[in-house]
Amino acid sequence: MERRVFLKGSAAVIPASLGLQMLMSRGTAFAQGADFKDDVEVLNYALTLEYLESEFYRQGNGAKLLSGVEAGYLKQVGADEDAHVAAISQTIKDIGGTPVAAPKVDFGEAFANRESFLKTAHIFENLGVGAYLGAASFIKTPAILQAAAGIFGVEARHAALVGDLLGLAPEGGVYQGATETPETKANVLKAAAPFLK
Amino acid sequence: MEKERQLFDGEPVIEFQNTKDRRQFLKYAGMVGVGGTLALTGVACTNDKAKNPVSPDRKSDEPSVPQGDIDILNYALTLEFLEADFYKQGVDSGILKGRELDLIKPIADHEAAHVATLSSTITDLGGEPVAKPNFKYPDPTFKNKDDFLKTASTFEELGVKAYHGQVTLIKTPAILGAAASIAGVESRHAAVLAKLLGSNPFPAPVEGTLSMDEVLKAATPFIQS
Repeated sequence: MERRVFLKGSAAVIPASLGLQMLMSRGTAFAQGADFKDDVEVLNYALTLEYLESEFYRQGNGAKLLSGVEAGYLKQVGADEDAHVAAISQTIKDIGGTPVAAPKVDFGEAFANRESFLKTAHIFENLGVGAYLGAASFIKTPAILQAAAGIFGVEARHAALVGDLLGLAPEGGVYQGATETPETKANVLKAAAPFLK
Repeated sequence: MEKERQLFDGEPVIEFQNTKDRRQFLKYAGMVGVGGTLALTGVACTNDKAKNPVSPDRKSDEPSVPQGDIDILNYALTLEFLEADFYKQGVDSGILKGRELDLIKPIADHEAAHVATLSSTITDLGGEPVAKPNFKYPDPTFKNKDDFLKTASTFEELGVKAYHGQVTLIKTPAILGAAASIAGVESRHAAVLAKLLGSNPFPAPVEGTLSMDEVLKAATPFIQS
């Protein structure tokens, strides 16, 4: 989380020399060579997150907490996640792998009301953005990289829109700075853990 | 490979040869845009023997990335110049108010940051950043909100597809990481502008791509010189 705070908050005012030191130390945090051994592992990691999101929106949209245009947006977000699950599963099979099963999930109080639904959605979407960017470098097959990048961009769209629906501050809420921040597998799984049974 | 290509219509170009490339990518995916001039300095040194990738006395006269990557960065820079110029005029015009202005001001800042980062990155890699072109916009662009938002939305969707169109053409992992971290932000912009316009913020479950030729053709009407 420290990295994100750094990026969000103070990048513009940090003197070059200090900023550089921080950047160098940040860099090492991403070097986790053993995270994924092949494309199937990256795809199954992505698939687990997409399953989580897909089920989250299925339940959330089913809870009828939203109305009007807002309900329409979230329905579309859910449909996107369903499409990601289908595309990633198929791709894993196409390259000879076995797609992981959908995880058992528990979203706790996320569907108590509109705000809790949207707030949890916002967390998931930003997590997805960081996860894809963090995992992209492990992808060896260009066509899969293209697809992962394409999904990553759509997760960023979701994150921004949900942030706006929540009325969050534009910078740090709707947007997370001038560049997206990659997240390590360890951090992503830690953030997702409370929702996985 | 054949099957995946059919699925995603991608073109195989990049493959990470080793963990060093991967590490480079990860490192820069997160830092481009933060340090301005220094953001991609490390890349220029990947072929050097320098232990310290930001050593000031490194050799900087020999570009260590393929010319094609520099060309792609200059292409991105051209588009970011256009966006930065466009949003600055939009914000200065006074046609935006309230939440709309609040949402668009940071976009202007992001595009300016992208310009600064791409320019310095190209320089650091031994390339020559393109000069800022002169832009022209159809007359009502900055006179009323709707025209402005429509053009903004067009630019953002174009920018997103432009970045995604280069994903498999970029050869240097660090540059790919940097470009991806910018592209994600353009996707956020695109979604916000679509919402402000009342159009679809999620036109597809996966971002589309456009070739350099297609994008430049679309951008040409706005470029004077």
